[in-house]
Amino acid sequence: MSNRKEQEKLLQMINQNQGIIFKICNSYCHNKNEREDLAQEIIYQLLKSAHSFNEQYKFSTWMYRVALNVAISFYRKNKTKELIPFAESRSDRQDYNDHSVELEDNISILQGFINELKELDKALMILYLETRSYKEISEILGITETNVATKINRIKNSLKQKFSEINQ
Amino acid sequence: MDETELQDLLKTYNQKLEEAKVLNLQSWVLNLQCFEALQKQKSKSKLRSLMNFKIVAVILGILWFLFLGYLLFYSMEIQKIFFLVSVAAIIVFTFIAIVIYMHQIIMIHKINNTESVLEAQEKLAQLKLSTLNITRFLFLQAPFYCTFWWSFNFIENSPKSFWFISFPIALIFTFASIWLFKSISIKNIHKKWFKILFNSTEWTSLIKANNFFEEINSFKRNI
Repeated sequence: MSNRKEQEKLLQMINQNQGIIFKICNSYCHNKNEREDLAQEIIYQLLKSAHSFNEQYKFSTWMYRVALNVAISFYRKNKTKELIPFAESRSDRQDYNDHSVELEDNISILQGFINELKELDKALMILYLETRSYKEISEILGITETNVATKINRIKNSLKQKFSEINQ
Repeated sequence: MDETELQDLLKTYNQKLEEAKVLNLQSWVLNLQCFEALQKQKSKSKLRSLMNFKIVAVILGILWFLFLGYLLFYSMEIQKIFFLVSVAAIIVFTFIAIVIYMHQIIMIHKINNTESVLEAQEKLAQLKLSTLNITRFLFLQAPFYCTFWWSFNFIENSPKSFWFISFPIALIFTFASIWLFKSISIKNIHKKWFKILFNSTEWTSLIKANNFFEEINSFKRNI
């Protein structure tokens, strides 16, 4: 990045897409300190790699590539087993109705399931959750669109199976 | 659970993921000075520390190379032929190791986070595994550390010591180094002698790199 103006413009774009960073940090790290460290590292690497941004790709595609690469490369080793659920504890949710409680439980199960996925499958799942097109997912991950479709179907089917087993 | 229910659940989960914000990110992103401050800090990245390790190894290798070169230069006598041949062989191994380490440093420089996830991660895993090759290669120089002090005088004056102690030791080292060169490979990573030979940290990171490399391959193959 040649000058301060360009850096500030890039920061603005990162800011507009900061949801990507939250999602990746929350998916790959399970404690507050690790999340903050990863967020810093991602932003640092994004700014450092700014010169390589190719305008033929969408900004979000480029940002996903960098953020996922950083998350997988630097935080695979730091992975802690402790999983902090999004949902509050049962005692904190007395005001919830039955439907909300069921939804929160399902979210926790889903979070556990995604947490157990392998690194690359997890990356695929994050992109799928974002409703990215198969073409964009294939560009970010470097696999074919057919491969993306097959893998997503497989993950969804095992998710459905998991929920059916629980509900039985 | 049907498709619609699953889609709704995934949508809610996606929102939750985004809502669980990383503290201070807002101010962090908006503040360019933070980036500049971070640039001055020592990066925590594993790649940076791997590169630093390799740079130190290259510097030490060059110093060792120069020291051996100096010894070789001032020992050019036919009576010191064993010493000269041994030191020359070690110099060759050191030189090759320096070149390979330099190549690995270049590889680390070329690893680019903006490449597709699979490309970048494959290069990283390969880099890790390539350290195995240099290690097995360096074992081949071991016999020369047993021969540098031999001399014709020693062979003539103490033939028993030479033929029954020194020579067999050199022979054992030769066979052992060739065996290690052939056997140190990823396919033997789970064997006991491998775990004993490599310390636990190296072994763990090799296992992880290998497992991840396999994961990348199966991810690519659509299986």
